[in-house]
Amino acid sequence: MKLSDLLSEKYIISNLKSRHKEDVINELIDLFRGDDKVNDIEKVRASVMDREKIMSTGVGKNFAIPHGKTDAVNDIICAFGRTNEPIDYQSLDSQPVHLVFLIVGKDTMVSTHIKLLSRISRMMTKDGFREKLLKETTVEGIIKHFREEEANYFEL
Amino acid sequence: MITIDFLLLIGAVLLLLSILFAKAFQNLGIPTMLIFIGVGMLAGSEGIGGIYFDDAKLTQSIGIVALLFILFSGGLDTDWPSSKAVMTPAFVLATLGVFLTAVIVGIAVMLLFDTSFLWGFLVGSIVSSTDAAAVFSVMRAGNIRLKGRMKPLLELESGSNDPMAIFLTIGSIELLLFPEKPALNILWLLIAQMGLGGTLGLLGGKLMTHLVNRLKFSYEGIYPVFALALAILVYSFTANVGGSGFLAIYIAGIVMGNKQFIQKRSLIRFFDGLAVLSQITMFLTLGLLVFPSEIGDIWWVGLLISAILIFIARPLSVFLTMIPFRFSFRENLFASWVGLRGAVPIILATFPLIMGIENSDLIFNIVFFIVLTSALLQGWSINPAARLLGLAEQEEKKKSIPLEFISDKDDETVLEEVIIPFNSGVIGKQLAELEFPDTSRVVLIVRSESNIIPNGKTELMEGDVLLVLIKRSDAEGIRNIIQMPSRDSEDT
Repeated sequence: MKLSDLLSEKYIISNLKSRHKEDVINELIDLFRGDDKVNDIEKVRASVMDREKIMSTGVGKNFAIPHGKTDAVNDIICAFGRTNEPIDYQSLDSQPVHLVFLIVGKDTMVSTHIKLLSRISRMMTKDGFREKLLKETTVEGIIKHFREEEANYFEL
Repeated sequence: MITIDFLLLIGAVLLLLSILFAKAFQNLGIPTMLIFIGVGMLAGSEGIGGIYFDDAKLTQSIGIVALLFILFSGGLDTDWPSSKAVMTPAFVLATLGVFLTAVIVGIAVMLLFDTSFLWGFLVGSIVSSTDAAAVFSVMRAGNIRLKGRMKPLLELESGSNDPMAIFLTIGSIELLLFPEKPALNILWLLIAQMGLGGTLGLLGGKLMTHLVNRLKFSYEGIYPVFALALAILVYSFTANVGGSGFLAIYIAGIVMGNKQFIQKRSLIRFFDGLAVLSQITMFLTLGLLVFPSEIGDIWWVGLLISAILIFIARPLSVFLTMIPFRFSFRENLFASWVGLRGAVPIILATFPLIMGIENSDLIFNIVFFIVLTSALLQGWSINPAARLLGLAEQEEKKKSIPLEFISDKDDETVLEEVIIPFNSGVIGKQLAELEFPDTSRVVLIVRSESNIIPNGKTELMEGDVLLVLIKRSDAEGIRNIIQMPSRDSEDT
């Protein structure tokens, strides 16, 4: 499994409307409405918000990775959003966020979940990749960048 | 006079032999049930063991107890979110599908062997349900991962189709013994079996979870015993008021397995062990009960009915009943092939023996033969079939570390992933330098998708994902530590 396999066009927002942390998370979670993988979208929301309560997932360098584990999904599901406008995310480095990657994992698949987190974290530490995503304004372009970047990585 | 000490010796030796043989043959893909039956047959009156055993009544009792534990444990392990999606097709397969199978086999037996339709239908009914023990053991053997909806569908079907088979069997026995009995009574039997079984199972599961959570026992060893007693209660109460105990206990297991309760992990493990013991005991006993020489006499009859069941009756009932659910042709073909017969038919075959139906020993031997061929042919070939039909998923590399954390009900302490911020001051520092709160622990570090078991000297890197056991009240302290500004940013 690769991240870019999970991330199809319908899970990408190239121009996030929301400006605040919780609204952004909700904007992305709403993409999962009616999805086969999701049994209870409110439970999904609760799991992500609960994780956020423990500690902000704005990990710095304009990037945030909200995540949660729940039994309300039957497979790992993710979404990505970007925006030119700054998002107030209460990040750990107190800087605004422009890129948000959401991962919701199944509670019984901790091992895969944590590996995917590691994968996205590793990709996002690369300045060049972040720059590309910051500049890219089309959904197709975003997918292309993820595919190209992840082509060098092994299957999880 | 056989002493209990001697019986225990025999029991222990047979159990150990079964386990050892199962281990020795595990790479050949033989369904373990065949191995256990084989050990029983070898130990039996016509094998090298020479143990004479022909007690159908005792076998039936052992079978019922065993099935009760197998179904409960199977239910506990059932993942409801993925099963919910296939509930309707599984229900149709478990009722209409079973009925169609019984009718088709019944007609075939009537035509081929010039019996009455009812006698043929009795044979068909006995072999009409797929076997939960066999399907679970094949599906969960660890060397198969099915794509999509097939695994939950076939598991749910096999766990819930026994009441229909039991009903059809008892119904046709009653009609054979008392032909004047009104058909309405028999239909009523079905409604009671399903309705009561379903309702009491649902209630029983909720009640069990509630009681286990509510009553606090100071001694942990009590929990499995308490749950065991409750499980037996759910089965026996339902069966005594005229419902299907098997359906009830399976549903109770599903309900409980998908709720949180105290000691969940150890209880699931306890029932898993019990289910394994039940499987071995049941198949061993069935192996002991059979007289291979009698099977030899009817081998061609058994083979013929087997072929009809496997190649005509099961596929026809799957394809017909699944029309509204739009499974692909390959999926239907696969579902047809996973029509494993197992213990239930053999247990049901003891019913006519006990009730004194005409030619009932013939039925028993035919059924036994059918189960053997089904397990041998289908059980052995399910993995290749899944791969051939493109329904098997690639096996994940299993070098992962087992990660599971069941929090207490209050979940004050949680296991969470924390990512080291990209420009944090803790980068390059050793874990021991960070002075994490005493009540929280970093249990694993995942760096570039590889697991690192941390110790105090482990240095942190940008983007590391830490798996941390966090006490909620510590969260802020940990946040302060990992967001420590790096020296570079202090300079600027």
